[in-house]
Amino acid sequence: MNVALAILWKDLVSEWRSRDRVVAMLIFSILMAVVFHFALPDQDPEALRALTPGLLWTAYLFAALLGLNRSFALELENDALGGLALAPGNRGWIFLGKAAANWVLISIVQVLTAGVFAVFYRVDLLPGLTGLASVVGLGTLGICAAGTLLAAMAVRTGFREVLLPVLLLPALFPILAGAVQGSMAAVAGRPVPFESLQLLFVIDGVYLIVAFLGFDYVLDE
Amino acid sequence: MNSPQLKLRGVRKRYASVTALRGVDITLAPGGSLAILGPNGAGKSTLLRVMAGLAHPTAGRIEFAGGKHDRGQVGYLGHATLLYPELTARENLIFAGRLYGVNSPQARADQLLAEEGLGEVAERRVGGFSRGMAQRLSIARARVHSPKLLLLDEPFTGLDEPAAQRLTERLTTLSAEGHGLVLTTHEISRAARLARSAVILVDGTVQESIDSDAMSEAELRAAYARALEAAP
Repeated sequence: MNVALAILWKDLVSEWRSRDRVVAMLIFSILMAVVFHFALPDQDPEALRALTPGLLWTAYLFAALLGLNRSFALELENDALGGLALAPGNRGWIFLGKAAANWVLISIVQVLTAGVFAVFYRVDLLPGLTGLASVVGLGTLGICAAGTLLAAMAVRTGFREVLLPVLLLPALFPILAGAVQGSMAAVAGRPVPFESLQLLFVIDGVYLIVAFLGFDYVLDE
Repeated sequence: MNSPQLKLRGVRKRYASVTALRGVDITLAPGGSLAILGPNGAGKSTLLRVMAGLAHPTAGRIEFAGGKHDRGQVGYLGHATLLYPELTARENLIFAGRLYGVNSPQARADQLLAEEGLGEVAERRVGGFSRGMAQRLSIARARVHSPKLLLLDEPFTGLDEPAAQRLTERLTTLSAEGHGLVLTTHEISRAARLARSAVILVDGTVQESIDSDAMSEAELRAAYARALEAAP
């Protein structure tokens, strides 16, 4: 557990000083909000409210891909990844530390992105905020669990920028299904369907366990 | 009788179409010191990565003190520094200490920074360090958990003569205290001074080995020349 906390601390301090990933993800998300804004002019408020969850998750997903790819690319500098792999004990804790850092950084971007979407599309997200936060938090956890594992697998290949989306996107279908459905209900001010939360819990649990156990092999040369 | 600190039997390592190691046998007695010499591309760095537990051998067996490999007992210095440029020197060592479960990583970091003469730059980010300073910090990182076995891949790279001299003295002291030491280097004189045994690796194969308490530089140079001549 200490290893996971140490890696979480290291990633957050490094990001605070470089602002490498958060800025890149945020610019990308805002750009998507702007593009959608011009692509969907003069929509009535109800139509915009219905579209917002899907658009939001499109921005979240691609911003997350950007951040996940950078997450391990930074570890290649000075072979720092080798330094992590040398740590004694279960390497699953390395996965948990990296996944937790990814979750925090992506969540920061998501909060800011949600604010931008709310302004651009004049959608009040406050009434369903608790439900939306739960769904987004759980959905992002699944993205980070699968994404951290697959980013570590892809990072030593020569075409990691392409490989990560190819490997990750199929694994995210069930997460996106639950997350978009749940977000639609939350944005509409309705309670989040139990089925959506259940699906997210189950998929998150499966991905976390598989990644924790499989990470030992991912870091080996 | 004590088990060897490190024992490799028939270790082979293959990367795609390249065979880096072709059945290496090495035995290191507890507290022993071994120099691995050889020309560029001989497989020295790969051998050290296999010993460190960073790379799995394609075939063969590695034992650590008669048991399974234990990464916590090994300190490793590679070609790269393993350091984070956005963190300060002190933060890098504290982070490494926490990875290895060191009891008081802050105190250990301060101790190592003082030993390496980096106390004055402890709060500076590593991204701005010279190669020599980064190398000294990287050596401190390898020692952060007081490992029983130190694996050093060309540890004198980037060091000026006073720093190289200090490192030689420190490694001599650590060896005298019973720490195992394996290093690769192109400096035969330093290898002869630091190690009590040596292997000459050529094209992934041990061509010559010397195991003698009184290994001299001349003996090592002669073995090196023989190994290069004998290599296919």
